[in-house]
Amino acid sequence: MIMFEHRLLLFATPRQIGILDWRPGHMHWLGEFPASAEGLAAFRKIVVKHARLPMLLVADTVDEDYRSEVLPHVQGHARDELLARKLKQVFRNTRFTGAWRQARETAGRRDDRYLLAALPDAEWLTPWLSVLHSERVPLAGITPLALAYQHLLEKLREQSSHTLLACRLNNGLRLSYYHNGLLRFSRLIGGDTPTQLPGNAADEIAKTQLYLSGQRILPREARLHVLLLDPTGQLDSAQAQLNADPAFSTRLVDMPSLARALRIPDDFLAATPEVAPLAAIAGEVLKLNLAPPELLQPHTEFRWRRGLHAAAGIVAVLGLGLTATYWLHARDLDDQARQLAQQYQQFDSRYQAIARTFPTQAMAPEQLIQTVSLARQLDSAQTDVAALLATIGQSLLAAPDITLDSLNWTEESPVSSGEVRVSLDAGLTPFDGNYRAAMQRIEGFMHTLQAMPGVQDVSLRSSPVNADSSSTLSGKTLNADVADAPAARFSLSLLYREARR
Amino acid sequence: MTRPPLAVLKLPLLLLLAALLLAAGGLLWGQREAKEAETALQHQQTALNQARQQLDRSRQQQQLIATHLADYQAVVARGFVGTEDRLAWIEAVQLANRDAGLYGLNYRLMPRTASPPTLAQGLPLGQTRMELTLPLLVETDLTRFLDALKTRAPGVVRVQGCRLSHPDNASFEAANRPHLQAECDLLWFTVATATEGHHE
Repeated sequence: MIMFEHRLLLFATPRQIGILDWRPGHMHWLGEFPASAEGLAAFRKIVVKHARLPMLLVADTVDEDYRSEVLPHVQGHARDELLARKLKQVFRNTRFTGAWRQARETAGRRDDRYLLAALPDAEWLTPWLSVLHSERVPLAGITPLALAYQHLLEKLREQSSHTLLACRLNNGLRLSYYHNGLLRFSRLIGGDTPTQLPGNAADEIAKTQLYLSGQRILPREARLHVLLLDPTGQLDSAQAQLNADPAFSTRLVDMPSLARALRIPDDFLAATPEVAPLAAIAGEVLKLNLAPPELLQPHTEFRWRRGLHAAAGIVAVLGLGLTATYWLHARDLDDQARQLAQQYQQFDSRYQAIARTFPTQAMAPEQLIQTVSLARQLDSAQTDVAALLATIGQSLLAAPDITLDSLNWTEESPVSSGEVRVSLDAGLTPFDGNYRAAMQRIEGFMHTLQAMPGVQDVSLRSSPVNADSSSTLSGKTLNADVADAPAARFSLSLLYREARR
Repeated sequence: MTRPPLAVLKLPLLLLLAALLLAAGGLLWGQREAKEAETALQHQQTALNQARQQLDRSRQQQQLIATHLADYQAVVARGFVGTEDRLAWIEAVQLANRDAGLYGLNYRLMPRTASPPTLAQGLPLGQTRMELTLPLLVETDLTRFLDALKTRAPGVVRVQGCRLSHPDNASFEAANRPHLQAECDLLWFTVATATEGHHE
């Protein structure tokens, strides 16, 4: 995982220390400082200037030790304790030790396979570390150069199972063995050795192969793939000698290929070949850390501070972002409200313009319409008195022995269906006392009325005689020739549906 | 990652706290702003809808007024709207009686009452009953009188009912003397105006 951060990478050897200022996509070589009082003072100046940056120290020394161990699979605090015991057991009182859990066995108890590493004699590191400690520099860790070369192999997309990287740097030849891309062993042959002779480099590689086979680190039947990396080109001639041996296959890594793989300028790499392993490990998570915990305390504080700062920044940015979103939303709503207010003003002014045209009447326009409508309704549907009288008159013409005493009509309601209730009081003249005949004549008159247009529901309200069983009936019979016989009076009721005009 | 002493992290923690407070304050403020703006927008939307409805209604009213104003002014001129003009009504029945060539009449005007709600339809409609008693020579005198009254009536009047009778129950005589009597109930309708209502 690439850590997108700005950091310093320190390339430390017993003779000197180099500093690379690195951040993603950009790096700057700050210089090399010899292990002397002047070099230490200059180093301190650089450190003070960059004291707030995390730093990673890559150690390149002859005195380094690697051991592969298979340990039971445990986790958490138990693993820490197990590894601490194991490191103490293997490397005794060595200060700079570390363990890297590389893989888990696929068979048996499925134990964990570790690479234990140490810098047995690292007194030469003390002055540099003292400077870092005194300036409370956040030291991220101390790691061997061989681990940096492992990331270099990844960058070179080297995928052989058994790889031996032979790299010549600072007059030293480092031979590192990687199994399936993971560091298993490394050794540095110092600059005073005869590796300056190409033939000797091939010999050292052959010896290393024998050693790895002897230690059962490298299977005997395995063919070792050798990568030759030398900015000075002194290893080029060793390639032919190695290729002659069927136990080896070789690949010579030239500087342009390396620069492309690391994405750094050719001239920059050619001028400072030390940056190659540093650039390879710069953005990677540190897998093997040899620094004791007390040296890492400032870095722990740095990470906490950075985490809290990042959290504060994220919270602030999120808060500001959401606040800005709400604010923009509110402004958008305000704009909409303003537009609506303008529309409201337009509607209102139009309404006012229309309202000014209204006549200054005492009532609302709806009531005005209603008033007109009501007046029309009341004006219409008046009873046609002439038609009513004509209807009654025609009926009376058909019954000459009936004399009308009174005629009364009443409109049920001004909004009725046009029916009027008509009551008429009349008498039969002459009347000879024969009520049966009188009733027949009255019924005949009622039939006549019922037959007239517009007349309906003709009923007898009162008859000349009340023959009801519940009432008293008295009278006297008369002769037919009695001249002053009383009239037989009766009342009728009917409904007349008048013709509306 | 082991935790460093709290004192070392005092400033970053304060920064984080400040950021939290800032973010919370900003959020609350922003939410309140947005809510207030939303409420204002809703109010404005409601006001706009009301204004739109008012405008639509006023347009309809304008059209209705344009259509019916002349008719309204006519019914106002007739005396249907406003205070009742009893003298004009009495004059009208007198003139109608004279126009019909009848023999005089008796009238009686009752106090004005409110019309039934089914008829008034929400308007301040009032009705005044006028009872008329008039002698007639023949029944058609009544129709002639009512036709004349319709012509002379200054307001809106309806004949609610009439009764024709022989008051003296006398036999027919070939003399020019009325022997019929008509009793009619008339209803004079008037719509009270707002100003009239206040005066009352």
